Formats: sequence, structure tokens, C-alpha cells
Amino acid sequence: MFRNYLKTAIRNLWRNKTATGINLLGLTTGLTCCLLIGLYMQHELSYDDFQSKGKRIARVIMEYTFGADVTRGNFTSTKVAPTFSRTFSEVESAIRMTQTTKVVQYGDKSFVEKKFMYADSTFFDIFSFKLLEGDPRQALMYPKNVVLTKSVAKKYFNNQSPVGKTLKVGTDGVDYLVTGVMEDCPSNSQMRFDMLASFSTLGVNQEVTYTNANYTTYLLLKDKNSFDGLQTKIDNYFKEENAKSNDPFKVTFILERFDKIHLHSPYEGFEPNNSITYIYIIAAVALLIMAIACFTYINLSTARSVERAKEVGIRKVIGAMKGQIFGQFVGESILLTLTSLVLSIGFVMLLLPWFNDLTNKQLSIASLATPFVIAFTLIIVVCIGLLAGSYPALVLSAFQPIRVLKGSFKNTGTGLLLRKSLIVFQFVISVFLIVGTFIIQSQLHYIQSKKLGYDREHVVVMPLDMKIMKVLPVLKSEFTAGSDVLSVARATNLPTHIYGGYSMNRPGLPEGTEIMVTANPVDEEFVKTVGLEIIAGSDFTRQDMEDVMHEEQEKKIYHYILNESAAKEMGWTPEEAIGKKMFLGDMRPGYVRAVVRDFHFTSLHNPIKPLVLFTEDWGRYILAKISGKDIPGTLARMESAWKKLVPHRPFEFSFLDEEYNNMYSAELRIGKVLNIFAAIAILLACLGLFGLSSYSAQQRMKEIGIRKVLGASVAHIITILSKDFIKLALIATLIAFPFAWWMGNKWLQDFTYRVNVSWWIFLVAGSLAVIIALVTVSIQAVKAALANPVKSLRSE
Amino acid sequence: MIKIKDLEKIYRTEEVETVALNKLSLEVKEGEFVAVMGPSGCGKSTLLNILGLLDDPDGGSFMFNNIEVAHFNERKRADLRKHNIGFVFQSFNLIDELTVFENVELPLIYTGVKSAERKKRVEEVLDKMQIMHRRNHYPQQLSGGQQQRVAVARAVVNRPKLILADEPTGNLDSSNGNEVMQLLTDLNEQGTTIVMVTHSEHDARYSHRIIRMLDGQTVLENIMV
Repeated sequence: MFRNYLKTAIRNLWRNKTATGINLLGLTTGLTCCLLIGLYMQHELSYDDFQSKGKRIARVIMEYTFGADVTRGNFTSTKVAPTFSRTFSEVESAIRMTQTTKVVQYGDKSFVEKKFMYADSTFFDIFSFKLLEGDPRQALMYPKNVVLTKSVAKKYFNNQSPVGKTLKVGTDGVDYLVTGVMEDCPSNSQMRFDMLASFSTLGVNQEVTYTNANYTTYLLLKDKNSFDGLQTKIDNYFKEENAKSNDPFKVTFILERFDKIHLHSPYEGFEPNNSITYIYIIAAVALLIMAIACFTYINLSTARSVERAKEVGIRKVIGAMKGQIFGQFVGESILLTLTSLVLSIGFVMLLLPWFNDLTNKQLSIASLATPFVIAFTLIIVVCIGLLAGSYPALVLSAFQPIRVLKGSFKNTGTGLLLRKSLIVFQFVISVFLIVGTFIIQSQLHYIQSKKLGYDREHVVVMPLDMKIMKVLPVLKSEFTAGSDVLSVARATNLPTHIYGGYSMNRPGLPEGTEIMVTANPVDEEFVKTVGLEIIAGSDFTRQDMEDVMHEEQEKKIYHYILNESAAKEMGWTPEEAIGKKMFLGDMRPGYVRAVVRDFHFTSLHNPIKPLVLFTEDWGRYILAKISGKDIPGTLARMESAWKKLVPHRPFEFSFLDEEYNNMYSAELRIGKVLNIFAAIAILLACLGLFGLSSYSAQQRMKEIGIRKVLGASVAHIITILSKDFIKLALIATLIAFPFAWWMGNKWLQDFTYRVNVSWWIFLVAGSLAVIIALVTVSIQAVKAALANPVKSLRSE
Repeated sequence: MIKIKDLEKIYRTEEVETVALNKLSLEVKEGEFVAVMGPSGCGKSTLLNILGLLDDPDGGSFMFNNIEVAHFNERKRADLRKHNIGFVFQSFNLIDELTVFENVELPLIYTGVKSAERKKRVEEVLDKMQIMHRRNHYPQQLSGGQQQRVAVARAVVNRPKLILADEPTGNLDSSNGNEVMQLLTDLNEQGTTIVMVTHSEHDARYSHRIIRMLDGQTVLENIMV
């Protein structure tokens, strides 16, 4: 019996190549999307699973209250770990970590290591990273010890064992002893360093203050259920501590579950976080695409059921039970789905490199090859087969054999309403995705084209360290020797993301007043290089810089450039501010040089706050404004100057607009992914529509023939055939709009600066859906309308 | 074998009520060959469908092998049908996706006959119908006469007690038609009861008895000698 079904199924699929092709294409595309998204989700949801103590680890978040201003961040001082271990019995162990960039040298090999981690010696006790060589208890015990990951060890030492050898680390080439080799950090780890050195190396290991917060602290709790209890204790402890202190600010700490950081935390870790919202969005998109593919199958199969009716009738007359017929057709759809699965696995393998590029992951199909996943996939496939096949099977198995075989059977209203509803639903999904894509794209466009108040085009960003600082004046003059480098500046934070927290005040404000402000130490070329607009006063001068270069702190005089918000906060108009005396922190007395127009110095998720630029003889970045006429030539010239003057460091650079885009990497990525999947959804919906309209045209061949004989024009016939489908597309558009509007606004709420969801988005999306439907349907309609009526009438 | 009394069948649409069978009574004995004749719309096809357990009557009694089957549900009817009744249609009604062999094999599959036994019986019957050389062909590759021989083979492969033929020669030329009629006659001589609906007086002469119908009733019975 089964073999007979299989035979009929295969032959039937083969005979109806168009329908089979459409269904295979639809299901394969759907399954391919699902598999790819499944791989991605599995990877994201598996973050840090390998940490056997992960459920007992907490990350410590600092809450810093200053007047009415509350700041939270994942940075803590070195005091937190020892204090917490000592004070709270729930804490078994604690660790401080920080990641930085170091130049590392061994023999004649020298690399810039961007993921150079410092961690306390408790590291291998708290985290489940596997040490291949060395003693986990001793490896990070002493200053200047370093553990290498396997691949980094290979980079420096080839296949020799590095343990016991020394590496030269940093610009001054300090010797670090290699004490171990560990397995590379898994791709689903929230920390993925290449080198791990002992925290004691940093020499910052004093318990002085809570506010010098530059490190990440993790706690290992004795019991995974003690998070809440410990949090209460921490709250109470710091209430007392804050009451005792005279400082104008208050600190307290919040525990964050380690295993929730990657998908749920608003605070970045060592690696970029993802958001569970985006995981949900992408899962929903996968489901919607699969639904569209299933609906196409249901639609085409029920529409085509007339063709199968004769077979069903015969089988029933001969003795088939309803259940057997049902089983046969469901089996057929499962067969088709399984074939699609095989095809889509092939496609996934083909597309994976591209998909990895898109998502910035290293996913591999091998991770799907676990018995659980295979079983799960098969069950899902069978479910899809059942879902897609059962309605057509139900319709077919209910046919009355006598009516079918007497030829009186016509495709009456059976399932017509259902077919129409499914088309509407497919188009609702498509329109929803089109609107969603438009909204996201227009916000992304807004982000990219927004006048930020500074010019991020053609600005080359290079790192700055103590050694480079010494040669900076020479380097600057080498750079600017050509006319293609317009100016060179130095800054501690890039203008894309200024985050240094300070306080400011001025004479005349009540004693102890502190105004929270973000500030960035810069030099006299900064304003010019990044193109800030001065609205009052004048730019820093060379003399201003000299004023802060005194050896003795007391003799230093600072100069300030405020943004409009900062001036307003101080109670000045821009004009009033010029030349006024003010302080930044307790130390820096100085005068206001200028006020610049407000510019976006953090992500557009946040509003513009008060900002101070001030003169300081220090920085972390070199910024060079170039003409942009011959970028490769300019860069080559800069590189040769760099190599001459900065031999200890390779020439590494980025562009300011890249740095800016990096802030929106999550949004840009989701935008790209949605673009692609929305396109796929629309294509699939069209495919279904195409199949259905071609079928409907075929069904109405005789009617069209008669109409033509009676004098109907081609245009009239196209209208008749298209009208119904277009009506459905219109209905779908109207249903989709409110959902899309609501979702779009919800997503946009995360941005302080955002586009409005304007009516034209809906107009365009709606028209697009209708036009696509019209084109799809017309292809068939035109074909039918142009056909010779004699043919269709004779064949009856 | 078949005893029908006061059988009624009424087709209703929203506006019209058509009486297809009007208190029809009829008896067919085992081993008989009966032809049913009458103009279009007289109810002969309805009668055949009810006899074939494809349709249920609205009133009256239908005894099949001394069992009252008039109110059997679909499941029971299908079960009785597949073991006892074979069908031959005017338009052959072969499944296009299956070969000759597979078409003939189909009833055996539904009655649960084992594969080896199926092969034997299908070959036997194909041989008898002289269509063995076409066993691996598809219906479209055969002539009308050959297709109808396949259909007859399929109807008899399960060794039914009753064969219902609905204008079996309607789509055939006269020589092919005669061949099919000869086949039916042979089957009848071997003991199979046959009820045949036909428009052809020529075909009807192969039967033992002709029942003439008009407006859902039998109007005349001719006993053939």
C-alpha cells in the first residue's frame, strides 16, 4: 500500500511540474530560512552555556548617584572584589578583569593584540575555560604572568610549547612569563580574549576608592539561589556606607546574572551583546516565512484538487477508506517537505558563509548534527507536512466518488473562502514586513544622514600611546606636510562616543554645587578637525595648550569649550559664557573659550547632554582630517611616516564614520536581515499567487473562450481575472497597517532621535504590495486573454 | 442476490426536487446478466450507484445477499463493496499515474492481499484479458479497447460476485465493443452476476433480461431467450 502511494505521489509530483516546482521552491526557501535562523538562534541562546558555574556567577553593576543624576555601568573599582568577598558570606570567590590592546613581541614577531585580558588568579576557578598546559591555580598567581590561547600560542611559537618563555608586552616591552596555554574561547562566550595576564601586573590592586571604576567585577556565589538575598544585603550595606561618608555622590551595586548578560543586559560586556527582542523578531520572521510557504502549498493543492478528484473517486469505488485517502495525501505532502528539507540543507551549506558574514558569526552546520536537533527538525518537517497537507487531504478524501466519476464534478465553492483567507493572510504578512523594513530603513537612513553637528567624513582615526605621544608633534608635521591632510588632532574620546564623566561648577553658585557633565580632553586642533560649529568665542590656541603643560598642578590654567547645553546648565547664554571662570572637577580652574553648537556625542538612542571640551596634554586617539581626493595615496603617505616614527606599532587606522556605524551595528544588522527576509516573504507570497492565478485562468479557460467569442476585449478579460486577487491584496494591506504601525513605533521608541512613521511609508508599501500582486496575476491573465478561444472551446 | 423493494431516491436543490427513483422494486438472482435501458434521466445511473453501494437510498429496502444494506454507513458500505462488487465505466476511469499492472493491482491492495499473491492474481487476469504484454504501460499509451479491457481486469481481479457496468462500450468502436461484451459474457458464464446499464440494443441482447426504465420506475421487462 505504502509503495503504491509513494509511486502515485512521485508520479503525480513529476507530472505537475509547475505546481510541484512552486511548492518545492516555497517549502525549500521557507525551510532554508528556518534552518539558518535556527542555527543563529541556537548559537545566541547557547551563550555561556559551557560555563559550568554560570548560574552562580554575578556581574557587578555600579550605580553612581550624583544629585538627581543616576548613572549605571558595568565598571567597578578594584575595591569591590576584595570587599565583597570579605563582607558577604554568600560570595565564594570574586574576580576583577579588564581588556585592553597591547603590542606583543616575541623574537622578530610583533602583533597588536586587541583582546589582551587581565584577570585575577581566581579565573580558572570561576570560569570553565580549559587550561591545556600549566597549573590553573598558579597560572595567574604572580605579576607579569600570561596564559595564551592555543591559536595565539601557535601564532608566536608555531608548534613549540610556549610555557616558560617570555613575551615582550606593551610599548616599553615589559617581559611577561608564559605560564599556560588554554583552549580558544568558544564562539558563544561573552569574553573572547586571546591573551590572559595576571591582574596583579597592573599594580592597581589597592582598595582605595569605589569611584575609580575601570574594571569589570564578577562574583562566584556559593548558592545559585542567593542572588536576591545578597542584593538586599548589598543595598543595606551601602545605605550605611553612604550615610557615613561626606562625599556628594552615592554609590551602590547591583548584581546581574552572568547567564543573562548576552541577551538581556543593557550594559555591554567584553563582546557585543545581543538583544532578546531581536531574537524574537527574527524567530517571528522565520515562522512567518514558513507560514507563507505552507499556505502556498495548501492553496495550490486545494485549488488543484479537481485534477486529483478522478483518482480519489476511482480509489474510493475500488474500496479505499476515507482514512486511507487522507493518509495518502498527507503522505504526499510529507514527502514533498522531506525533499525540501534535503534541498534546504544543501542550500544552507551553500549560504552559510554569506550568512555568517551577514550576522558576523561563525556558525557551522555541524552544530545541527546532534541527535536532538535532527529528531526535532524531522518532527517539525513532519508537522509542516501535516499542516500543509491535511486540509487538502481532508477536502480530497471527502469527495463523493459518484459525482466525481460522472464528470458532473466542478470545482465549486469548496475551500474558496479558505483559499481567499490564506491569500489575504500571506499578503498581510508581506505588507507587514514591507512596512517594518521601510520603517527600520528610514530610521537607519536618518541615523546615517543625520547632521550630527560634526563632520564624520574623511577623518582617519589612529591609536595614541605614551611612546607615540613623544613623537606626536613630528608625526603631525609629517602628516600635514602634504596638502591632502588638512589637520591633525588628539583626543581622549572620539566625537562619536564621548563618555568621560566629570562635574563642573563656577564662582557664584552655592557651596558644594556640582553639575554632572561629560567631558573630553582634546588639543587645539580638535574643533577644526571634526568640524564643530563655534557659535560664540574662538577656538583653542597653541598658547592654551602651553598653559596646561606646567609640571606643577597649581600653575596649570585650563581652557574650556562648552556645548550649548552645558552653557545653559551653568546659567549662561553662549555670549555671556565667553571668558567666564569655571572649574572641572575639584582641580581644574580655567576659562571658557567658546561655545559650540550642540552635537550628538553619543548614540541617537540618547538625548544630547551638557558637554565640556578641555585642554589637556593627553589623549588616546589621533584624528586626521584628510581631503578625500586620493584616499589610498594619503593613507600610504601616512603609513610611511608612521613606520618611520612609530616603529613599535603597526599602522592601524579606522575611519570616523565606521566608528559611528559601529554604534548601530545591531540595528544595521537587523535592518539588513529584515530586508532580505522581507524580500523572501514577498517572493514566496507572489509565488503562491502566481500558482493560484495560473490555475484560476486555466479553470476559466472555457469561460474566457466564450467571452472572447462574444466580443470581450483583452483588457476586459485581464480585468476579470485580476480583479479578485487585487481586492484581496487591498484587504490585506488594510489589515496589515495597524499592526505594522504599532510595531514600528514600539521599535522607534528606543531612539531619542527618530523619524516619524509617516503616511507615505504606508502608501508606498500598500501600492507596492498591490502592484506586485497585479504584475504576478497579469502575467497569467494576459496569457489567458491572448489565447485562441477556438482551442479552449474545442477541447471541452 | 439483489432484492429491492419500493426504493426511493430524491435529489433536492434549493428550488427543485427531482425524483430519480420512484418506489422501484427489482430482483436480480445470482448468476444473472441483466441489462438496464431507458432514456437519459430515467434514473438508471442512480439505480446503478445504489446497487454499487456508492450512494444510499432515501427510502425503501435493499437486500444484498440477504443483508439489509439500505442504511449502512460509508465505512460499512466501502467494506462490503470492495469484497463483492466490481465496476466497469464508460470512460474507463483508470488512474493515469499508475501502469496497467498497478491499476489492476489496486483493489487487491485495498483488500489487504499479500504482495506475492497479488502478483499472481494480477498476471492471471491480465493474461485472461490478453493484455499481459502491456503490463508496464500507462493508460494514455493504450487504445480505448485496451483501456476497457484493463478496466474489466481491474473489476474482476478481486473475484467479485457482482459486476456493475455503466455503458461499458459507450466510448468504443463496434469491434472493440463486441470484444468487451464477449468478455462480460464469458465472466457471466463462469458465474459472475452482471448488471449493465446501456443505451445499445445490440449490447443488451447479450443479457438474459432487459429492464426498461422511465421516470424512476421499471416499465417493462424482456426475458431474452
